[in-house]
Amino acid sequence: MSRTLTLETAARRGSLIPLSTRLARALIRGLPLILVAAGWQIAPSVGLISPEALPPLSAVATAWWGLLMDGSLASNGVSSLWEVTAGLGLSIVVGIGAGVLMAWYAPVDAIVSPLMKSLYPMPKSALIPVMILWFGLGAGSKIASIFAGCLLPVVLSSYNGARGVDQSLVWSAMGLGASRRRVLWEVVIPGALPEIMAGIRNALAISFILMVAAEFLVGQNGLGYLISFLGDGGVYDAMFAGVLTVAAFGFFADRVYLLLMQRMLRWRE
Amino acid sequence: MAGISFSEVRHTYRPPRGKPVLALESVSLDVQDREFVALLGPSGCGKSTLLYLLGGFIPVESGAITVGGKPVNGPGRERGIVFQNFALFPWKTVRQNILYGLEKQGMAKVEREKRTQDLVELVHLKGFEDSYPSQLSGGMKQRVAIARTLAVEPEILLMDEPFGALDAQTRALMHEELLAIMRRAPKTVVFVTHDVREAVYLADRVAVMSARPGRIKEIVDTKLKSNARGEELLQTREFNDRVDHLWKLVRDEAIRAQGAHE
Amino acid sequence: MAGMMEPARRESLLTALRVGSGILFFGAWQLTAMSHVFSEFLLPSVPVVAERLWHDLVSGDLVSGIVLTLIRTFIGFALAAVGGIILGVSIARVPLVRWFFDPLVSAGLPMPKVAFLPIFMLWFGVFDTSKILMVAFSSIFPVIVEAWAGTQNIDKYMTWSAMSLGVNRHRFLWEIALPAALPQVFTGLQVALPIALIVDIVCEMQMGGEGMGGSIMTDMRFADSPGVFAYIVAIAIVGMVLVKAMEITRRRLLLWHQETQTA
Repeated sequence: MSRTLTLETAARRGSLIPLSTRLARALIRGLPLILVAAGWQIAPSVGLISPEALPPLSAVATAWWGLLMDGSLASNGVSSLWEVTAGLGLSIVVGIGAGVLMAWYAPVDAIVSPLMKSLYPMPKSALIPVMILWFGLGAGSKIASIFAGCLLPVVLSSYNGARGVDQSLVWSAMGLGASRRRVLWEVVIPGALPEIMAGIRNALAISFILMVAAEFLVGQNGLGYLISFLGDGGVYDAMFAGVLTVAAFGFFADRVYLLLMQRMLRWRE
Repeated sequence: MAGISFSEVRHTYRPPRGKPVLALESVSLDVQDREFVALLGPSGCGKSTLLYLLGGFIPVESGAITVGGKPVNGPGRERGIVFQNFALFPWKTVRQNILYGLEKQGMAKVEREKRTQDLVELVHLKGFEDSYPSQLSGGMKQRVAIARTLAVEPEILLMDEPFGALDAQTRALMHEELLAIMRRAPKTVVFVTHDVREAVYLADRVAVMSARPGRIKEIVDTKLKSNARGEELLQTREFNDRVDHLWKLVRDEAIRAQGAHE
Repeated sequence: MAGMMEPARRESLLTALRVGSGILFFGAWQLTAMSHVFSEFLLPSVPVVAERLWHDLVSGDLVSGIVLTLIRTFIGFALAAVGGIILGVSIARVPLVRWFFDPLVSAGLPMPKVAFLPIFMLWFGVFDTSKILMVAFSSIFPVIVEAWAGTQNIDKYMTWSAMSLGVNRHRFLWEIALPAALPQVFTGLQVALPIALIVDIVCEMQMGGEGMGGSIMTDMRFADSPGVFAYIVAIAIVGMVLVKAMEITRRRLLLWHQETQTA
């Protein structure tokens, strides 16, 4: 049975299909992206759109290379990466802890969950001004904005995940001799993991929105700052290059996370 | 000694929102050591609740439940439970699931690996040790659940409609396997079911429960004289008389339960 | 599930805690403010913020801010809803459309769309058009994806039943496919609306032009901390009301759906 299963998955992933066929399929699939890119190159070049409004892709690529070479991509990229990692990382640790405890201890649940549920729809971007008030114009306010914005999605997904863990799993573990604390670590948290990880994926997207928005507003460094600085200065080809970099950054962060998620949740099939 | 005694057990179910419901009303029942007793009744009669009380998963509010003379206070390893939905840890492989209780016991590594292997063979799952539950069929999952429970050698086996989610053929096979395992290492069993034939086939005695609020309506001796097994037994007059008798009792309750709902 | 307190008493205690949590929140805020651990500037006291809210409410500033923000958010959201549903359904039903948009949507969905804000400013200026289009662009992706999935995953037995009962292709879309996809489409809208609000506030903060995001930024620039806190409270309430309104609409719209029955 397990052998037929692996065969099927292998076939679905295409490893039994010849390389040339797979290449052709990838090409057909990716063609729309190539068409868009070609349109982007041609339209401003032939004067269909003003190159001021849409610099041709080649100009954007050249500008990107320039940004890479003069080190502005690296230095601003590093500070953006640090903000997202610190803010999101903190919210994951605090959020899982708080969410699981809420689900596990009824009195904590009774006090905290109505608050969480009413604050959850809070438009996260509105937190940025308060954080600037509190932490000034440095990285602190950006990290705090990301932390505060990502916290509730992680808390709520951990809470829902932990509450959704099948009662019979908890009882089975207890019947097999696990203490309540062990059950928390060995049953509740793994059982809640699919939902926790989905919540973190959500938080990852929010962290990028907040990172970029905060960097627009708190201008000193970061990719968001770089984009708006270039835009204000009228260097549009470089601005487009910056926007594409941030977009790609967000895209790949999500893809890498998705791979991690699939790996960690392999048991779900 | 692992005799069980319920005396005057009452239980009220309190949903988070809504009115409390009297689920069990004064249930008294004695189960002998190494006896196989089935709790039979219409759905919603509180038979699973009775099992969870015995398991120590929900606290006894009124009345007393004792095991080997000692009152039940929380879950314990001497009472192993098997659920209808298998309740396997989906993130653990077959082997890891069976190992879980042994690790809790603090059994030495070599010994618990050996024991796990024995159990895998006992329930005919050789070759699937490293599969995840999601890769197994329903019957296989339930065999893993049974092996996991047997691993810690409980004196009492609590079974909550364990074969209810399986198709008829698989269920019949599982019946034979369960009886074979019980012959090899007899245990006290409390088996919840709503399947009359299953109850008569497996149990020494069947306790029929009334519709909500649950009470023990009648206890029927189902230790058959016939030596027949499997298909043959199902044909005997003795078997079918018991089934007919129990079926009438259960049907009356099911009709009552439905009347109460409408 | 914890201790072994008597259930009835335990239940009433928990209810008291639940009701008290709001009081507890504002109480903790007020106590912290009164303790002077943080200055009046960093954490204004509850009465100060409440007074400011009242003042802004009476003067009409707050109402006009809320109205401006809501108008931009709703127009952008409506564009995303209509465009997203049309595109999602077409992707699910027309192979050529699917071929073209599949890679674009899967690339666009996880991208941080706010990063495109300077481009929108370049193309459409800093006034309403640019904000509304930015809102629409940011919130359209979840609608497309859910409408697509919802239309794609219609139960095949239901399709077969409808076909054997004689529904034609055109009718099928309106009478079967869209109603069947509605729960999932609505999920997409429920994801999209908060995004629309978040992005509109970012746009207002960055481009100005009043609205709640513009006002909170102005107050911040003038280091007017009671004003910032008053707007945070107001924005939180607006967010809460919008999300609640979506939930209620969903329940009304999906009366036939099992999720409504179990609730």
